[in-house]
Amino acid sequence: MMKQETTQKPMAEQDFSLNLEDLRPRPKEKKHLSEYFMPRRHSFIIFHPDRCTGCGACEMICSTRNVEKVAPVSASVKVVRDQKEGKNFSILCQHCRKPLCLPACPTRAIEKGDDGIVRIDKLFCTECGLCTMACPAAAPIKDPGSQEIHKCDLCEGDPLCVKHCPENALTFTRGKAVRWIKGLRWTSQLISFLLLVMVFVGTFCYFRTGSVSFACPTGTLQNIASSGTIVLVGVSSALALLILTVLAGRLFCGWVCPFGFVLDVVDKITPRKIGWPSFLKSRMTKYGVLAGAVGGSYALGFQVFCTVCPIGTLCRSYGVQSFFRSAELAIVPVLASLEIAQRRSWCRYFCPVGAVLGLTALLRMIKIVIGAKKCKKFSCIQCAEVCPVGIIDADKLREGLSPKIPMTECIMCMRCVDRCPYSAAKIRFRWQRATPGEGRI
Amino acid sequence: MNPLQPFYNMKIGIVDLSASNAEVVPLTEEQLGRYLGGAALNAAVHAQHQADSLIFGTGPLTGSFAPASPLMIATFTSSIFKRVCHVPLMLRTGPDMKFSGVDFLVVKGTAPEPSVVHVDHGKIRILPAPPILNMPVPEAIRELKKTSPPFQSLIITGPAADRGSSSASVSIGTNGSLDKAGLATLMAAKSLKGIMLGGTDGLPFNKDNPAQGKELEKIISTDKNFKRRGFYAVLKNLEGGKDAVKSLKAERKKDMACYHCPSPCMTHVIFSWHDPGNSEMKNSEEGLLLLDHTGYAALAKKAGKNTLPLLRACLHCGLDPTAVAEMLPQGETLPDYLNAIDKIVSDNATRTQDVSQRQGIFGGGVPPIGTDDLFEKRVALAMVLGVCPIFLLRFPQITDAALLSFISTREEDLKALQERLSSAVASL
Repeated sequence: MMKQETTQKPMAEQDFSLNLEDLRPRPKEKKHLSEYFMPRRHSFIIFHPDRCTGCGACEMICSTRNVEKVAPVSASVKVVRDQKEGKNFSILCQHCRKPLCLPACPTRAIEKGDDGIVRIDKLFCTECGLCTMACPAAAPIKDPGSQEIHKCDLCEGDPLCVKHCPENALTFTRGKAVRWIKGLRWTSQLISFLLLVMVFVGTFCYFRTGSVSFACPTGTLQNIASSGTIVLVGVSSALALLILTVLAGRLFCGWVCPFGFVLDVVDKITPRKIGWPSFLKSRMTKYGVLAGAVGGSYALGFQVFCTVCPIGTLCRSYGVQSFFRSAELAIVPVLASLEIAQRRSWCRYFCPVGAVLGLTALLRMIKIVIGAKKCKKFSCIQCAEVCPVGIIDADKLREGLSPKIPMTECIMCMRCVDRCPYSAAKIRFRWQRATPGEGRI
Repeated sequence: MNPLQPFYNMKIGIVDLSASNAEVVPLTEEQLGRYLGGAALNAAVHAQHQADSLIFGTGPLTGSFAPASPLMIATFTSSIFKRVCHVPLMLRTGPDMKFSGVDFLVVKGTAPEPSVVHVDHGKIRILPAPPILNMPVPEAIRELKKTSPPFQSLIITGPAADRGSSSASVSIGTNGSLDKAGLATLMAAKSLKGIMLGGTDGLPFNKDNPAQGKELEKIISTDKNFKRRGFYAVLKNLEGGKDAVKSLKAERKKDMACYHCPSPCMTHVIFSWHDPGNSEMKNSEEGLLLLDHTGYAALAKKAGKNTLPLLRACLHCGLDPTAVAEMLPQGETLPDYLNAIDKIVSDNATRTQDVSQRQGIFGGGVPPIGTDDLFEKRVALAMVLGVCPIFLLRFPQITDAALLSFISTREEDLKALQERLSSAVASL
């Protein structure tokens, strides 16, 4: 009988080592279609430093869950008492949208569940403590006794610390369920576009019925400059948009402007941006354009900017006859192409209508604040990501500061309000207290 | 099983400073059975050792889910009251002592050189103190943090005690304490600069305790005293307290609580002040945790609007504000007062403090709330069980039975515990 030949290596030479991927494959980041309409609820605990008396009840009860005894050092929540300032702070896992502890863990013992809760799997944890160093909030805590890593898991949706705090300094929230502002804004923009461009053609620039009239404020300024006379009816016609801006900020830009709608649609088509060179990124440029438009109108005796205004062009170019007559409509795709560089580039840097509304917004009655208590700052930064005009300072958030929002630049799209999973971004009257808003908590 | 067992580590630490030796001995069930713990057991342990020994102890409820359970009791023969006194030490000292693995700490003898005692994981170490003698308390703590093993709570003496002043008072961290009976002076006489508590362990207590604690909180939440919280609320009810409150009104404040206390009686204030002795210094903001009601009232009576800077100076020097107030002249300027405090520290001035005997037994710092009879009973109860005496004085509706139910809810246990508690309280 022939001896059967084998290609198998001797046992000693075989590689039996397992990769981490074999043991615990890294979960792929995927977003279900349903999440676009009904985003995940983001559960978390809010700490109110002004209510906390530093009694440590939260540490006590938390430790009973972690180690089945009262041992404050083994708690997942820590109360830090600032003796000089008389302030108490809590160190608590914020269950970040993109947790930094997760990639830092060499054994992939940390994972973020579908419920948004970041958990440590004790089976895989080697107590190396890298997560404690990676977390900007220092939330994973190494037990000085057992060396175990403790981290808040929100008691699986029913946090004990919240129930036991005698001062209600900790409150639990499941976050927002529906982003309804987004849908409302898109609907408003679409209806405004259809009405201004297709139904009431040309009415944005000037419109009059009976004693009621409406006029574009930038056009009115140019009219005054070119004609050299102030017509009271013209000025009062321009007031409507200015009054709206005083009452509600630059709501027109975010919710009504037909060209803004075009830009938003183009933005959806071109999600990747090439960016502007830094020397072109000056928001003051639009005020220069406005001054140029008014000065040019004065010098040339006609409304210079109106001939190329993308909003006006859109509003008066609908219809077969108008379309073929209006070569000026070419300005729309030209300016819309700026969207490849940055979102709402035209609105940020060049739009003189926005400049007039921005100046009027100095008298605004409302503002958007980002509440320092609720804002999770470096662990979220979603408001800065979604802001189409880039006025929310992500660097400040990374530094742990709540940014101040310049309302002269804000187009009141309310994307930040809508997106914030912690309900930290809010609309407030101007005279209401700025904080919780700006500055370090 | 003894119902008290989950409430204790069942360990007594014995520190012999003369021999630089420390050991941990078991706490017997017989001792617990007879005295329950706290000041009663402290007194019994004190009687077993030399007259100059110093006992730090905790009650059964110290560190537990019973409301306001921060108490550590220091028992010693007071050079001021000439009798055995029990000084309540609050904030987090009691729980941290238990979580360091010992329930009672006996300090005997005198150290050959200034020393600190570090307790953690049931182990006691006697360490030479870093060069912090005559250093203001905050600086000494900073130095200790640099050179010593980590700790959660610290009981420390200041420069006044280092110079042998009878007006010295121990400080819990930088916050001062209710010691008006000479605990700091005794510690200094033993060359014991401080006691550091690591607090890295824990105790199981009873599983039902969290719910019971919440129930008790609900009961007191309807009381008018529950809403009248903070340092002011207690200060107002003291003799001359209303005038003392006036000197506090302009300051920024925040109420603070000791360990697991639902009704804070301390307030952190921030005040701006200018040190007259330092011409380069501009107005600076200073933060103080006000916890000594009687001390503040006494100081305010003399110093009026200068009270807060003077209190700051007292805390930095480790002085008892009540004793300082007795020695200060009336109606001087702030620089004169500060010079007088320096003199008290350096000259070792004789103390002429006037504290009634009923307060003196309990260290002299517990604010006299209620009638004499009620005061003694409630404070003694608190001192045995390890609950804050100010809390029990403010909320008389919390009965001893309600507190004992944290230890056991079985009727026969409760009956036995009640008997033991009554005799322990009477022994004080």
